[in-house]
Amino acid sequence: MQLTITNLNKTYSNGVQALQNVNLTINQGMFGLLGPNGAGKSSLMRTIATLQEADTGTITLGDLNVLTQKEEVRKTLGYLPQEFGVYPKVDAITLLNHLAVLKGITNSKERKELVESLLHKTNLWEARKKNLGGYSGGMKQRFGIAQALLASPKLIIVDEPTAGLDPAERNRFLNLLSELGENTIVILSTHIVEDVKELCQDMAVFNKGQVLYKGNPFDAIQEINGKIWRKRIQKAELEEYKKNFTLISDKLIGGSPVIHVLSDGNPDGTFEAINGDLEDVYFTKIFATA
Amino acid sequence: MFLEILRFEFSYRKNRAATYIYFAILFVLCFAATTSKYVTIGGGSGGQLQPNSPYTLTLMTIIMTFAVTFICSAIMGVAVLRDFENKTESLMFTTTISKFDYLMGRFFGSFCVLVLVYSSIWIAMMLGFSVGRFLPWDPSWKEKTIHVFDMWHYFQPFIFYGITNLFIQASIYFAAGTLSRKPLLIYTQGIILIVLYEITGTITQDLENKTLASLVDPFAVRTFQIYTQYWSPAQKNTMLIPMEGMMLWNRVIWCSVAVLILIATYYSFSFNVVTSSWFKKKKAIKEVVSKIRPESVVIPVVHQFTGFSTHLTQLWKQSLFYAQMVVKEIPFIAIIFVGVVDMIVGSFYFGEMYGTSSYPITANVLGFLSEFDLFFLIIVVFYSGELIWRERTVNINLIVDALPVPDWVSLFAKFFGLMLIYVGLLLFLILFGVTLQVSHGYFNFELSLYFKTLFTDEIAFLIAFTVLSFFVQTIANNKFVGFALMFVFFIANLFLSAMGVEHPLFSFNSGSLGSYSDMNKYGHFVASFTWMKLYWLAFVGVLFVISVLLGVRGTEVLMKTRLKIGQLRLTKPILTIAISTLLLFVSSGFYVYYNTNKLNKYLTKEEQEKVQVDYEKTLKKYENALQPRIVDVNLKVEIYPEDRDFTAEGYFWLKNKTPKVLSEIYIQNDVVHNMKIEYLRFEGGAKIKKNYENFGFTIYQLAKPLAVGDSVKMSFKTKFETKGFVASGSNTNVVYNGTFFNNNYFPSLGYSEDFEIGDDDTRKKYKLPEKERMLEQNNPIGLSQSLFGDDADYIRFEMIIGTSKEQTAIAPGYLQKTWEEQNRKYFHYKMDVPMVNFYSIISADYQIKRAKWHDVNLEIYYNKGHEYNLDKMIESMKSSFDYYGKNFAPYQYRQMRIMEFPRYASFAQSFANTVPFSEGIGFIQKIDDPEKDLDMPFYVTAHELGHQWWGHQVAEARVKGNAMLSETQSQYSALMVMKHSIKPELMQKFLKYELDKYLTGRSRESKKEQPLALVESQGYIHYNKGSVVMYALQDYIGEDKVNKALHDFLSDWKYPSSDGKYKRYPTSHDLIKYFKAETPDSLKYIINDMFETITLFENKTDKVSYKLLPNKSYEVSIKTISEKFRADSSGNEKPIALKDWIDVGVYGEDKDGKDKLLFLQKYQVSKKDNTFKIIVKEKPKKAGIDPINKLIDRHSDDNVKTAVEEEKL
Repeated sequence: MQLTITNLNKTYSNGVQALQNVNLTINQGMFGLLGPNGAGKSSLMRTIATLQEADTGTITLGDLNVLTQKEEVRKTLGYLPQEFGVYPKVDAITLLNHLAVLKGITNSKERKELVESLLHKTNLWEARKKNLGGYSGGMKQRFGIAQALLASPKLIIVDEPTAGLDPAERNRFLNLLSELGENTIVILSTHIVEDVKELCQDMAVFNKGQVLYKGNPFDAIQEINGKIWRKRIQKAELEEYKKNFTLISDKLIGGSPVIHVLSDGNPDGTFEAINGDLEDVYFTKIFATA
Repeated sequence: MFLEILRFEFSYRKNRAATYIYFAILFVLCFAATTSKYVTIGGGSGGQLQPNSPYTLTLMTIIMTFAVTFICSAIMGVAVLRDFENKTESLMFTTTISKFDYLMGRFFGSFCVLVLVYSSIWIAMMLGFSVGRFLPWDPSWKEKTIHVFDMWHYFQPFIFYGITNLFIQASIYFAAGTLSRKPLLIYTQGIILIVLYEITGTITQDLENKTLASLVDPFAVRTFQIYTQYWSPAQKNTMLIPMEGMMLWNRVIWCSVAVLILIATYYSFSFNVVTSSWFKKKKAIKEVVSKIRPESVVIPVVHQFTGFSTHLTQLWKQSLFYAQMVVKEIPFIAIIFVGVVDMIVGSFYFGEMYGTSSYPITANVLGFLSEFDLFFLIIVVFYSGELIWRERTVNINLIVDALPVPDWVSLFAKFFGLMLIYVGLLLFLILFGVTLQVSHGYFNFELSLYFKTLFTDEIAFLIAFTVLSFFVQTIANNKFVGFALMFVFFIANLFLSAMGVEHPLFSFNSGSLGSYSDMNKYGHFVASFTWMKLYWLAFVGVLFVISVLLGVRGTEVLMKTRLKIGQLRLTKPILTIAISTLLLFVSSGFYVYYNTNKLNKYLTKEEQEKVQVDYEKTLKKYENALQPRIVDVNLKVEIYPEDRDFTAEGYFWLKNKTPKVLSEIYIQNDVVHNMKIEYLRFEGGAKIKKNYENFGFTIYQLAKPLAVGDSVKMSFKTKFETKGFVASGSNTNVVYNGTFFNNNYFPSLGYSEDFEIGDDDTRKKYKLPEKERMLEQNNPIGLSQSLFGDDADYIRFEMIIGTSKEQTAIAPGYLQKTWEEQNRKYFHYKMDVPMVNFYSIISADYQIKRAKWHDVNLEIYYNKGHEYNLDKMIESMKSSFDYYGKNFAPYQYRQMRIMEFPRYASFAQSFANTVPFSEGIGFIQKIDDPEKDLDMPFYVTAHELGHQWWGHQVAEARVKGNAMLSETQSQYSALMVMKHSIKPELMQKFLKYELDKYLTGRSRESKKEQPLALVESQGYIHYNKGSVVMYALQDYIGEDKVNKALHDFLSDWKYPSSDGKYKRYPTSHDLIKYFKAETPDSLKYIINDMFETITLFENKTDKVSYKLLPNKSYEVSIKTISEKFRADSSGNEKPIALKDWIDVGVYGEDKDGKDKLLFLQKYQVSKKDNTFKIIVKEKPKKAGIDPINKLIDRHSDDNVKTAVEEEKL
C-alpha cells in the first residue's frame, strides 16, 4: 500500500498558504516529516487524517481517495494530533475502551485484551483507573499513542509525538513506533532531527507549505558531504558572517557561537570541514533555499 | 494600584464589542417596550394605569435586572476567571499587586461597566416616552395623554432598586467565577437566584407568608408586588415606591449579603495559580513502573467491525458514555438539586385555594410537576450546547473526529445521551409525584397517566428543544453565540403571537394535551396534539439531518467548506431520511392546515376583532328594537358524545309583550360556536328580509304581524358539528365525557351586545367610542330585562335529551321518563313552574349520590372516584335549605341536583334546580383539618344554592349594581350558613382572604372602581367586597335585621318581570331601601359607606399596656390611630371626618394557648388618636381596634398589638 499526495494546495481564509503544490509518495515504513513550527506539517497531516479539506489536489491511500472516502480511510487510521486533551473525569481504561468501540472493535473479549495490552505497552497499566485529568504531560502523550494504535491501523499519523516526553519516554516511544513500521505507513512529523535520523527510511523536509526535499536520510547526508564547514566565532561577528556566508546554523557552545556554513570549498580558509549530519541537511534545506 | 486595575478593567471592557452589544440589546428591548404595542415588560400598562407612571417605570426597572442576569454573569463572572482561561494568571499574580487591589479593582471596574450597560434601559425609557409620539410607528399609548416628563421617576427606581439589584447579582457572580474558576458554575448561581424568586412566589399563596417572601426575594420583585399590592391605580400613577418598610429591609438584607459575599471572596481567594479543590484535594498520580515490561507486550490482532449493527452498538455505548459524563457534572447536579428544592418547597403549597389544599389526584400532581419545566429548559439549552462542544472544549476533537464513526452516530449519541438523562429525570419526577401523593395519604397512583403525559408531551418538548439547540449550536458554531441565539429565540417566540403570528404551524413545538380531566381524560386533545407533535418532530428531524450534514468534524469551520463537506455526507441513506422527514413535515403540515383552516374557520385575534367591529358598526342600530319574548321552550336535543356533535330541534313560543305590533323578528344564530341552523320557521310563515350571513343575523318578516299580546311558534333545528381539529381554543363544552353547554348555543332574539369589543384600549384601536360596561340604573331598557337577557322573562320548559348509552343526560326540570332506543338513551325533563331563560344541557357517565331534605330530592352526579366531598356537599345543601327556607322564603322546587363537569373551567353555576360544578374545584378539595382548613365544597355549594333564591326567585335588572342582588346576596347567604357551622377563627380567615382579594382587585382595576351598589360585573367587588361588607352589616345591625330586610325584599319582588307587578326588574337601589329600613339612624352612615361609596379605613393600634388592679382584674389601655378615606373611581383618596362605631377588642389565652376574645365592643370614634381603657377579668394577651377586620383596611395586620405590662414599659 502506498500513500500518494498529488498537487495538494490549501490556503486558509486569512490568506496563509498552508500547502503549496505538495507532491509526495509515501511507502510502508516510517516516514519523517521535518520542518520548523508553522511549516504546514500539521495541515498536511490533518488533511491526510480526513480532518481538513484541500483546495485542490488528491490524496490516495491504496485504492482509496482520502479526500472523499473519509469513512473508509478512518477505519485504517491511527492519529495522534499535535495537541490534544482528554475528558478530565474519565479514567484511562474507560476512555480507551470507549475509543476502541468507536473504532469498531465490538467484540468485548477482544477489546478487553487489546486495551489491556496497549495500556501495558504504554506503561499506563498502573494508572489505568485514574482520571485522565490528573495525568502528567508524558502520561497523557502515552495515552494518545495508545489510542492511535487501536485496531492495528494501516496508516498511522503522529504529529510531534515526542514533544513533551522525557528522554527515556521518547526512546520507548520511538522503539514502539519502529516495531510497527514494517507493514504500516507511519508518518511522523517532528522538528527534532534526531527522531527522523533514528527511525525513518524516508523523509521530507517541509517549510512554508512546500516540500523542500524528499528522499532517504542517508542520501540526503550524502548530498551535503564535504559541503559543511564549521567555525567558532565571537558573538559580535555573527551578523557579519550571516551577511557574507550561507549560514545554515549557529549554536552556542560554551558561550560563544559555533556556526555551520554551506559551501563547496572552505569559505575563507578559517573554517574546518565536518561530516554533515541530518541536522545540517535540515538547516540547509530550510535556510539555504530560502 | 486599585484605580489602575479598575481603569484597566474598564478599558478592557470598553474595547470589547460585547459590551456594546449588551448595551444595544437592553436598549432596543426597553425602547421597544416603551414605544411599541408588541413588546411589554412586566405586564405593561393599560386601562387606568399610565404607561410612564412611577409604578410602571419601577416595575420595568426591576424586571430588567432579571433580564440582565445573563449579561451580569458574563461581565462579572469572568472578571477574574478570564485570567485563568487565558492562562495569564501567573503573569498577574507575580506582580506587586495586592490581593485587595486586584480583586476589588476587577470587581468595581466590571461593576461600573455593568451599571453603564444597564443604564441603557434608563436612557431607552426616557427617550422612548419623550419621542414615542413622533416615531413612524404607533406606541400603545398613542391615544392617551401621559404624564409629563419627570426625571426623578426614572432616576429613583434606577438607583434604589436597579443598581442595588445589580450589586447583589454582581457580587454573587463575581464570587462564583472567582472562587470556582468554572464558567458553568456561574450560570448555576443565576439559577439559584431565579429559584429563590420562584419559591417566594410559591409561598405567597399563603397570606401569612408575605413578610417572609418580601425578605427572601433577592430581586425584590415580590417585595415590590407585595408592597404595592393594594395600591389603587391613582396611587400607582402618582407615587414613587419609597425606600421604607419591607422595601428597605429587603435591600438592607440583600446588600449586606452581597457585601458579606465579597468579603468572603476576598478571604477565600488564594493568590495562587493552582486552586485547591473545594471538595477534595487532587492527588497527583504517582507513576509506578509496571511489572510487565512494555517491550514484551504483544498487541493482539483484533477484528474491526463496520456496518449498521456496529454503528448501533457504537451509538448505544457512546450515548451511555455521554449520559454518564453529564450526570457527573457538578453544575448538572446543582441544577437538579435546586430544582428539587424548588419542587419540595412548592409541594407544601400544593393546589391551594383559600389556604385549603386539593387532593393530590394525579392530574393535579402532573400540573405541579410541570414546574420542573424551567429546569428542564435550562438543562436542555446548556447541556445540548455543552455536548455539541464537548470534544472541542477538552480538545480531544481531532482524535474523536478521526475515528471511523459515521457523523450521524456522533450526533445521535449526544442526543440519546441527553434522552437517557431526560428519561431518568422523568422517572424521578414520577417517583417524586408518587411520594407526594403518599405523603398526603393518597394511594390511587395512576402510573399509566404519569407515563402517558410525561412520555408524550414532556418528552416531545424536550426532543424539540434539544434538537433545535443542536441545530443552533451547529450553525452558529460558537457556544455562547448559540446560547444567546436560543435566548433570543425564546424572546422572539413570546412576541411572535403579539405580532399577529398565532397559528400553531408557526409557533415552535405547539400542540398541547390540554388539562387532564378525570372525566374526559385527555379527550379530543389527543388528535390535534398527535398531529402537531408529528409536525414538529418532523421539523426538528429536518434540523437534525442538517446538523449532521453541516456539523464540524476536523478543523474546517467555514460555512462554505462545511457546505462542501455536507455534500459528501449526503449519502443515499441520509438522503432518504432527509427526504422522508421533509415529506413528513410538509404532509403533516398540510394535514394540520387542512384541519385548522379548511375544515374549520381560522381567524387571527385581529381578524376576530374586526368581525366584532363590523358587527357593531353594521347591526348596532337594531340593539334596542322591540322584539317578542320567549315564553315556551320545547326541544329535543340529540347528543353524540363520541363525535362531539349535537342537534337541537323543537320550538319556542314567542309572545309580543310590547305595546306595538311586531312584524320583524331578528334572529341571532350562535356564530361563536359555529352553530348551523338547518331550518327556522314561523307558524303562519315568514320571509327572510335580510340575512347578514357573516354575523349569523337574520331579519324575518312575518307574513302575519304579531299583535300585542299574541304569540307565534318558532320551530327550528340547529346543529353543532365537530370537524377535525382547530388551531386554538378548541371547544371544551361538547366532549366525549362531560358535555356541558347552555342555551347560548341556540338561536336568540335581537342584537347581541355581548359580541361587541369590551376593552376600551382595543376599542380605541378601532376608533370605536368608549363603552360603558353596563346600563345606568334608571335606563328603562335595562330595567325591563333581567340579568339573563331580554329574550325572555320566564319560560315554560320541556326537553328530551338523547345521548349515548353509557351516559346520563340532565337538564333543568323533573325527569318524566327515560328510555332506550336504537342503542341510545333518552331522558325527558319537564319543569312544572316558570323558570328563567337559562338552562344547561349535560351529559356524562355518572355515579349518583342521593339524599333527601324534607320532600326535596338531593342528587349529586359525580365521576367515579370523586367521592371525597359528597357528604359535605349534601350537608351543605341541607344546611343551606334550612337557613334560606327559614330566613328568606321557601324553596321553589322539589329537587336539587349537582353535576360534576370536566375541569376545563373551574366554576359552579346555578340553573333552576340544577348546579353544574367543576371537578376542578369542590370535588377534589381536601379538608385535612376542619379546625384549620376552610371547607370550600361546603361553601361553594351553599353559594350556588343561594342563587336559587338570589337570581332565580328574584332576578335583577340588567343595570349597574345588578350583581349586588344575586352574587353578593348568595355570598352573604353562604357566609351565614358557614358562620353557623364553623369556628369564628375560620370565618375570620375566610374574610381575610376576601378582603385581600378585594384590595388586590381594585388595585388592578382597568376602568373604574364602582361602589358595590353600582358594580359592573367586577368580581372583586360583588364577591369579595360583598362578603366583607355584608358580614360587617349583619354584625352592625344584626343578622336577623339583615335577614328580615332580605325576606321583605324577596316577598315584594318575587318573580319580577317586564309585565309583572312593577313592570320592571329590581336594582340594588331597591334592596338598599330595605336595608335602610332595618338600620337604626345612628348607623345609617354605614349603608352609605358600604354600598354607595368606596370607603376605606386605616385603623392601627399603637400601644397596648395593662396593669393588674387590686380587685384581680386588669385594666387594658389601648392607644389607637384611626383614619377614614373616601376614594373615587381611580383610587384618589381624600380623608373624611370620622364619626364611626368601631370595634375595640381584647384577647386573652385559653387553656390550649389559643387566642380567646375577652372583650369586644363598639366605640364611637370621632378623632384620629384615641386611647381606650378597658377592664377585663383575665390576663390580656393582645388588644386592638377593629381586631376582627370587619372594616376595609389596607393594613389589617396592624390592628392588634401584644399587650405589655405597664411596669415593664
